[in-house]
Amino acid sequence: MEIEHVSKKFRLYHERNQSIKSAIMRGRRSVHEDFWALKDVGFEVPVGSTFGLIGSNGSGKSTLLKCLAKIYYPETGRITYNGKIAALLEVGSGFHPELSGRENIFLNGSILGMSKKEITGKFDEIVNFSGVEQFIDQPVKNYSSGMYVRLGFSVAINVNPDILVVDEVLAVGDTEFQAKCAQKFVDFKNEGRTVILVSHSMESVREMCDSAAWLSHGELVKVGPADETITAYLESLPGASAA
Amino acid sequence: MRYLKEVLQSRELLANLTLREIRGQYKRTIFGQLWSLVNPLASMLVYTLVFAFIIRVQPEAGDPSGLDIFAVWLLCGLLPFAFFSNVVQQGMGSILGNVGLVQKVYFARIVLPLSKVGSVGYNWLFEMGVLVVVLVICGAFVWPWLPLVVVTMFLLAVFAAGLALILAVANVHFRDTQYFVSIIMQIWMYLTPIIYPISLVATQSDKYGGLFGTSVTILDIYRINPMERFVAVFRQLLYDNRWPNPQDFLLCAIWALAVFCVGLWVFRRSEKGLAEAL
Repeated sequence: MEIEHVSKKFRLYHERNQSIKSAIMRGRRSVHEDFWALKDVGFEVPVGSTFGLIGSNGSGKSTLLKCLAKIYYPETGRITYNGKIAALLEVGSGFHPELSGRENIFLNGSILGMSKKEITGKFDEIVNFSGVEQFIDQPVKNYSSGMYVRLGFSVAINVNPDILVVDEVLAVGDTEFQAKCAQKFVDFKNEGRTVILVSHSMESVREMCDSAAWLSHGELVKVGPADETITAYLESLPGASAA
Repeated sequence: MRYLKEVLQSRELLANLTLREIRGQYKRTIFGQLWSLVNPLASMLVYTLVFAFIIRVQPEAGDPSGLDIFAVWLLCGLLPFAFFSNVVQQGMGSILGNVGLVQKVYFARIVLPLSKVGSVGYNWLFEMGVLVVVLVICGAFVWPWLPLVVVTMFLLAVFAAGLALILAVANVHFRDTQYFVSIIMQIWMYLTPIIYPISLVATQSDKYGGLFGTSVTILDIYRINPMERFVAVFRQLLYDNRWPNPQDFLLCAIWALAVFCVGLWVFRRSEKGLAEAL
């Protein structure tokens, strides 16, 4: 996967024309200034590696992920990759509360791009992984929040993409479920798939990732082996000497 | 072409989203699907009372079917219009109603408004089925015309979908659209010969003759409204039981295709910016 000179601009509106009236009154000119959430970011992610994105809040990590997931489209630059990409930005999005877990698996699976045949084939695996077998025919609105997230995560992880993009959803469920997830990521890697993840937990990045990129204020500061990048990032933080 | 292929690939998702709407709609109601009949039935009762009993509007009897029942005549126009209006209004809100999905998952966004066409269309199919039964009981010989009715229903769905696509995009940028459209829809219904026969308009139009010294009459302007043609074709098929006027039918098809193409073009152009604009 290659990311070349990607820049993403957002408009910060001071006075936004969100109604026809204001658009007409102001002659369609809204007052805004440009904010570059990503500035000329470029790096390569080797196939089959686990890649971490680190940086402080507001550094553009999530924006970059959304560009990878084709939710945002960069103003300049290109993102090229081989194979199927799946993004795990939020779990359980698109669940219908009144429908049963079973129906929601099919619904969510197809939103994530799986065919009915694929979902049927993976159905048992998904249910087993989520650990909600007992309640699979209950409407999901009756699920506990943990069960809800676990089911959503199980569907998403079974999409089996060549490239998986994950945004800090590792922190779902109880310890047991987290261990299961970690194992799943290791399996992914062993199968030669690429994982790109964003996390604030330096331990998990250090543990799981081969290489990492550090973003700050929309700019790429450093990219390289995970250990070095993390150390550099931690040292840049105030009070780092103490840690 | 590439875009159409992508849309075609998402047909399974479209089917699933439509099912979500249909299954979720009447959950936890006692009467379930019957509720979809209540709305048209209530309007039918009110309009029949006011327009047939009090104001005494008298549409011509069906030719050659010989039917002369205001309520049935009304439903032949009211059900298609209600479908049209519901698709446009629900389809318009479909992007805003699924913010969570649009901002978190990539998929062909066009399935959101189209799934509304599917779910509203499902209810409509049910209503039209009941109408056919009523027509048969009243003595109309509708069976041979049903294939053409289905074709016309499809054309109307295409027309409504096209409009819904345009308005869905407009609604993301200007939230006024939804309020505006609900008023337009009311006016539109009264400007379409649904609760009164077009012959009343023709009479008035004849009285005034050509407008401003031209040969254009009020009726000519009135008939620009594509819904007038759709309603006319539905009545010719269902109420009169005869071949639809070829000009009306052709215009329905042209309107449907034209509006759908514009809708597709508009939606495709702005699809990429939707997640940001929300």
